[in-house]
Amino acid sequence: MSTFVMGCGRAYRRIARAFPHQYRAICGDGLGQLGEDLVPRVWQQQGVVGLIRLFGDLALRLPCEHFSTWADRLREATMADDVFEGTWRARQSEPSLWKVDRPAPQQAYLRFEPTDTGYLMTAYGVVNGEACAERPQMIIADGRRRPLLDLSGRPIPGVPAGAMTFGSRPDPQTLELGSDVDGQVLVAGRYKVSADGKTLTVTNKGSGPKGGPFEVVMVLERVVPE
Amino acid sequence: MPKPNPDAFLPLKSNWFHILVCLVEGDQHGYGIMQDVLERSGGKVRLWPATLYGSLKRLIEKGLIAESGERPAPELDDARRRYYKLTPLGRQVLDLESQRLKDLVRVLDARRRQEARS
Repeated sequence: MSTFVMGCGRAYRRIARAFPHQYRAICGDGLGQLGEDLVPRVWQQQGVVGLIRLFGDLALRLPCEHFSTWADRLREATMADDVFEGTWRARQSEPSLWKVDRPAPQQAYLRFEPTDTGYLMTAYGVVNGEACAERPQMIIADGRRRPLLDLSGRPIPGVPAGAMTFGSRPDPQTLELGSDVDGQVLVAGRYKVSADGKTLTVTNKGSGPKGGPFEVVMVLERVVPE
Repeated sequence: MPKPNPDAFLPLKSNWFHILVCLVEGDQHGYGIMQDVLERSGGKVRLWPATLYGSLKRLIEKGLIAESGERPAPELDDARRRYYKLTPLGRQVLDLESQRLKDLVRVLDARRRQEARS
């Protein structure tokens, strides 16, 4: 293979890395890999014209994908006043439903931190007298479906391959989040902030890792910083 | 999350239709889809990589396809490849689009017959 063709392959892969993170999170390295593999074939079959088409496609899509990502961020930024941001503590006085094969926490907290695309949600608390925290979860409530991965874009242990996550915000006070695999719901959650903004009611339903159904309802109150 | 209405996707974008048709036969990776579309269309439709992956991304976001967890044996395949499959919603949308196209052809045929008679 000529140096020119190899150089074109490397250039294609480099440009493919300039695509937005959202694009690469879904497509992985597929674009760069496919483009690099295609360069010699296209060169052989169509010559310079083929290479122009191949790179032209990349050059046209790159700004489109960045524009689409910015539009998503703008949509998020222009959403109604943020009522979720901050830390929420489970009320001990409120009755809560805990139908799950794990012990109920003595203390439970939820923290919502705004990000470029939505929120980073962290759940932590005290279970059986010991402090514990769940894996932080990225919430993007734009109604789109995305692979259920950890924050580094890697598969989460125990989560079935091909699992997808989605989120929507039917109104400014409510977040609906969920995940499924092959049409089977893993988790369906609803996070609703009260009209006065002081309490958050969390309802989570789904099937646990062993396939058994679970249901959790919790009422949390906003932790006001001192 | 409200269940999406399959009718809302019609008329389906041409690229999306070609990709969904490819996935009817089974899970497929990006290069496989590209080749399949090229062969199926007699070389007339070529989905270049950035366009193909852009369409795959949108189809995943809309819930019409999903990344497949099933893969061929590692010795038979490149481990870096991602496979895609049709979701039940994707299948429904494809059926509706096929019906829509069939209806259009039927209307066209009827008009031609009428023209020939007159």
